[in-house]
Amino acid sequence: MEDLHIPASNETPEIRFEFSRHCLSMHGESYPENAMSFYGPIRSSLQNYLEKLPTDGKVEVNIGLRYFNSSSTKLIRALIGMLDRSAESGPSISVDWLHDADDDMMLEFGSDLKEEHRSLKFNTVVAEPA
Amino acid sequence: MKLELFNTFRDTAQENGVIFYYTGAFSQNVVAAIGDSLKQRLDSVNTSSAARRKVFSTFVEMAQNILHYAPEIAENDGAGAPAKYGALAVGRNGDEKFFVVCGNPVRMEDVSRLHEKLEPLRQMSIDEIKTAYREQLRNEDHANDAVSKGAGLGFLTMARDATEPIEYSIAFASEADGGRADLYLRATI
Repeated sequence: MEDLHIPASNETPEIRFEFSRHCLSMHGESYPENAMSFYGPIRSSLQNYLEKLPTDGKVEVNIGLRYFNSSSTKLIRALIGMLDRSAESGPSISVDWLHDADDDMMLEFGSDLKEEHRSLKFNTVVAEPA
Repeated sequence: MKLELFNTFRDTAQENGVIFYYTGAFSQNVVAAIGDSLKQRLDSVNTSSAARRKVFSTFVEMAQNILHYAPEIAENDGAGAPAKYGALAVGRNGDEKFFVVCGNPVRMEDVSRLHEKLEPLRQMSIDEIKTAYREQLRNEDHANDAVSKGAGLGFLTMARDATEPIEYSIAFASEADGGRADLYLRATI
């Protein structure tokens, strides 16, 4: 299926889902006023990809969000949930969650995600300063 | 405004550590423009990237609250197009804590709901706030909440990033004002 690339805007992160290489990444900041209209299509395209993923598939996910607003929060967590459910049925999915070295809240958010999604190989990683 | 008065206005803002102040109509474009400008201002302030993120986050939550919940009001006795009005300031007390304050009209029917959401937050410890945040994050019933658009996480996000309890006050305008109330919020980071 076709790769999904959405360039970063002021209020939305860069989405680079290279389905052909099984590399998915999200980088930047996320505070659109209407988070559902931004994440809805991303969700559908990820769902399509995961449905076709073979049980011996291997996927690498890299998420580096310096900041996201409250209405993006549940939608970002939902993407991780989709990956986790897919990993339950076989594929090996690793997620690197990047956070600023001094940002305790972003680290905690990542640690909570790791705790909740046990089928993923989930790592919290200190981001290189921009 | 007389020049002397403007001078006083500017001095007062400076003495109180105001980095940014806006009052007027709020739209998506206005919030984006303030956001860009605030980011640049914060970049030139000597502080950690986490504090910058928290100040910016609090600004976005407050500004988007105004966009989502402030009633549309026609200014100049109805002559202008109705818009959402509010005031917002970001500042820092010396070299220490940052503050983000806002004030905006809210609908009378939302007042009791706002009290119910804001008052318990003031009594909670940071650990209780984090627990409430996690619970709300996992709460799937939110789709039934017709009013909230921030997934019920907006005030909790502010409280989580703040170093002191969120201060708030709700002032009632005169009857003549069509039974309006104004919400004021202050977060310290």
